[in-house]
Amino acid sequence: MDAGLLAQYVMNGLMLGMMYALVAVGFTLFFGVLDVIQFSHGDVLTVGAFAALAGFVGLNALGVSSPWLELAIILTLAVAAMALLGALIARYLVMPLRSAPPLNTLLITLMLGTVLREGVRLFYPQGANPKPFPALLPRSSFVFGDFNLRLDNVLMLATGVLVIVGLQFLLNRTKLGLAIRAVAQDEETARTMGINFTAIVLITFALGSGLAAYAGVMNGLYYNEINFGMGLYLGVIGFSAAIIGGLGSIYGAILGGFLFAGLQTIGTVMLPFASAYKDVFAFAVVIAIMAWRPTGLIREKISERV
Amino acid sequence: MIRTSNIAAVALATAMLALGAVTADAKQKVKVGFIGPLTGGVSVNGIGGRNSADVAVKLRNADPKAKYEYEMTVLDDECKPNVAVQVATKMAADKDVIAAATHYCSAAAIAAVDVYHKFGLPVIVWGAVLPDITYRNKYAEVHRVNGTMINQNDTNAELISSLGFKTVAVIHDTTDYGKGHNEYFSKALAKIGKAKIVGTFGVTADQQDFTAELTKIKELKPDVIYFGGLTPIGVRIRSQMDKLGIKAVFDGTSGIVSDAYIQGLGPLAEGTLAFREGAPTAKLPGGKFFMEKYNEQKYDNPPEAYGAFAYAAMNLILDTIENVGPDRKKVVAALGNVKDRDSIVGKISFDDHGQNTVAVITKYVVQDGKFVEWQDSEYASGKRKLPGQK
Amino acid sequence: MAGNNSNAARAGLWPGFAAIALTTCYLAVLLAAEEQNVIIALLVLGIVIVVGAAWFGLFEGVNRSFAEREDAMGIFAIVALVALAAVFHEAHFVLLLVLTVMLYSVATLGLNIQFGYAGVLNFAGASFFGIGAYTSAVLNTHTAVPHLIVLLIGGLLAALIGSLLLLPVLRTRGHYAAVVTIAFALLFKTFLEVNDVLGGPQGMQVPSMKVFGWSFNDNIDIGDITLSFYLNYFVVSLLLLIAAFALVRRLERSWIGLNLDALRLDETAASCFGLNIARWKITAFLIGNFLIGIAGALFGMVGGFVGPNNYTFADSLILVSILLLGGIGNPWGLVVATFIVVVVPEKLQTIQEYRFLLYAVMVIAVLLFRPEGLLPRPVRRYFPGWRP
Repeated sequence: MDAGLLAQYVMNGLMLGMMYALVAVGFTLFFGVLDVIQFSHGDVLTVGAFAALAGFVGLNALGVSSPWLELAIILTLAVAAMALLGALIARYLVMPLRSAPPLNTLLITLMLGTVLREGVRLFYPQGANPKPFPALLPRSSFVFGDFNLRLDNVLMLATGVLVIVGLQFLLNRTKLGLAIRAVAQDEETARTMGINFTAIVLITFALGSGLAAYAGVMNGLYYNEINFGMGLYLGVIGFSAAIIGGLGSIYGAILGGFLFAGLQTIGTVMLPFASAYKDVFAFAVVIAIMAWRPTGLIREKISERV
Repeated sequence: MIRTSNIAAVALATAMLALGAVTADAKQKVKVGFIGPLTGGVSVNGIGGRNSADVAVKLRNADPKAKYEYEMTVLDDECKPNVAVQVATKMAADKDVIAAATHYCSAAAIAAVDVYHKFGLPVIVWGAVLPDITYRNKYAEVHRVNGTMINQNDTNAELISSLGFKTVAVIHDTTDYGKGHNEYFSKALAKIGKAKIVGTFGVTADQQDFTAELTKIKELKPDVIYFGGLTPIGVRIRSQMDKLGIKAVFDGTSGIVSDAYIQGLGPLAEGTLAFREGAPTAKLPGGKFFMEKYNEQKYDNPPEAYGAFAYAAMNLILDTIENVGPDRKKVVAALGNVKDRDSIVGKISFDDHGQNTVAVITKYVVQDGKFVEWQDSEYASGKRKLPGQK
Repeated sequence: MAGNNSNAARAGLWPGFAAIALTTCYLAVLLAAEEQNVIIALLVLGIVIVVGAAWFGLFEGVNRSFAEREDAMGIFAIVALVALAAVFHEAHFVLLLVLTVMLYSVATLGLNIQFGYAGVLNFAGASFFGIGAYTSAVLNTHTAVPHLIVLLIGGLLAALIGSLLLLPVLRTRGHYAAVVTIAFALLFKTFLEVNDVLGGPQGMQVPSMKVFGWSFNDNIDIGDITLSFYLNYFVVSLLLLIAAFALVRRLERSWIGLNLDALRLDETAASCFGLNIARWKITAFLIGNFLIGIAGALFGMVGGFVGPNNYTFADSLILVSILLLGGIGNPWGLVVATFIVVVVPEKLQTIQEYRFLLYAVMVIAVLLFRPEGLLPRPVRRYFPGWRP
């Protein structure tokens, strides 16, 4: 295999990894703050992508035609809408169940995911069919031998990195980030210190859901298509990635995302049937990793043992 | 003097006569069935088929000479084998349904044929092209009015070879439909011997990401990418081909002959090849009549590629029931003797496996956002060139 | 204490009998109805009656009958089911629906042991069901193993694979086991789809059941009456359901059930008392999967077809919703919930498309407002005849 082809595979892997990492970070945020696994995260991603599409259709109807402007608007729209949705989910579905067994929260988020997914399928016009997503980024590409480097991929990768760096900055260098980390570590003490618990939870959920919306739009731009089932798949992978990396650790989530993408790419290259077995391979490795290090590659800081 | 009781008696008699007249005029209701993919990626074909069959039923009900009044029960097989088995069981288990026009998706049809045989429900397939549906078993209940994929793929291989393309990469979906296309295309291409297949890739019917397969294909540098599968993944593959900078001809089958393919790709669809058995609807013997009647009903969807066949299938069913009565066994026996029956798609004859022969294969190429017949296109005359065409 | 309530004595049989008889008649009418308006009217009537009965406290007597005279209730329920089958002896599709309910109930009973008693989350219920179904497909097609044994093998295989899956994550907390089962559920479907040996996405046909030469796929003709061939399967399913139900009840009341309950309620305390957590979790998972596997194997033969699309993650979620709706830990509640979840969307064609959405919304509502489910599990009865 020549260098050009190798570079192509690496690029494919990086793009996938970026998307998985964004979803995984969301899972980790939710778990860190409320000890809750928000299974509807993937489906929030789907709703975000569809919101962006609806926004695009609306903008077209209004006569806006500059791709950059459209992109900026629909991205803002999707992120804002999903941030709101995330906050609502936290307020009305997750927080009331804090005193119930954690299983109930897991189940309610799973069911919510189904509601969101089916809602898109049934209520968005022709929702059951895959929908073309507009190609708003420049389509030029640089060709290096066998390697086709597209400008839009580079842009998406770059902005994805910026978003993650921005998130790190938010969490580690701002007061809000400090509050979030405090709540994640110890709820009661944080409250005693005067941190508004409810507000922080809502903000964290909004943040994570906004990230999901961003990932959804990115996904739409990458494949030029969105469909109502995309969130389920991405959600499970993001979740597995977060688990591998260790729930509660942002670095772990990012690592897990790229690792999963790497596994899929290796599976593609090495195994005979290309795409067919790549998911089987990747999930099998996830199960194996969980058997070896159940709490994830980056250890949880606290553990409970009897 | 007219006694009250007499008046009452006369009134009663009149009422009974009137009632008798009304019931005598009311025709016996007969149920017929229709199964197709009404939701999901290929729903436009299913809905088009359903509307076409509906036209047949409506026309028959409006005909005063018809002996029975027909009611069409519609079920959705979602183009999935397991759902097809469920709805086939439901329809076949209902004793009131006498016969049905079934299936656009081959994957669904091949799974359901055993059910029809089990319950003895006579069916006529209207859109599925896999040969095995009629040829794997000799079920008296199963018939088909449209052609099989064998002829389609023969013509496909011929065109590719005659245009001078030397290398072909095959992508097919892993249902029996895609596998069937792969099998027959490979055989046809090998027989002609001018072009060879450099790689074969199986993909799942709902696969999202084809960068893996396409990157490997890029390495192989084929002239043509042959695609044996349906529209949803056809759209994805073609679009991702472009992203990876692969400049090969995209060569599809009847599975992508649908407006949804063009709508999904926009300008990228230009230059796609496709094939279908049967002449385009307008050129069929009864094409004009069918389109007229279809448009009268003002449906939201067009009949799509196989609507005419659905109409023909349902019409044949209705004709048979008129002849032998609403009895499943009699209909099965009657359908075994169909020879040179006139229909809007031409003459229908079922061979010993219930298969009709459709001689004409139409070659399509996408030109300016429409499926245009190959011989009428600018590609055939040389004004435009397919990627890599000399 | 125990035994001194001879005059307030044994709960009457009649409230329970009446409830079962009324329910069966209602079901018979519902299953026979064809017109959508009639069905909607029936459903509304049903809801009104249930709510009204609850309002008037009529359920008290019923609950007590079920709680105390359970064996009699069980026998009467069996009689009612057989009567239902007799009424519909010619209607293939109705019998198929009843069979689906029965076999899903068996599977959910298995899930109940895992989750309701031991607290082990299993999000791959449909996958283990599928393991059983594919076992019957493969063994029936390629070998001459007697079909009743095939059922057992289906169950054993599901149990085996389940325990292999669970072993690694036993030492961790609840949600990691959930993750593994979710990963497995997805892996299983993808594996089936890409694997041509097992038929790939096209699935496999399952030859019908033959017991001692009696083929299950032929209608039975007795004189003028034709009995649907589904009745053959009905007999076997009924036996299976009775066995599963009895097993679950006995298990609950036994010392094993006690251990499982302790395990679920507080792991730390339970292990302080000397219970080996890992061992009991595996046991519960094994037994549960065994039931699910047998139900799957039988269902494969009933339907005659197995395919990867039947055993997806969404289907596992349906099983979990049945469990939640019916009341975790209450077998009677399970059967009722299974009926609702399977029969209502089939009859009410208009909501067929919306059924996943509706289930999910119902479960969310249950979780928010009535987490114990429709028929919550009654308090454990330590002494026979004891009334709280």
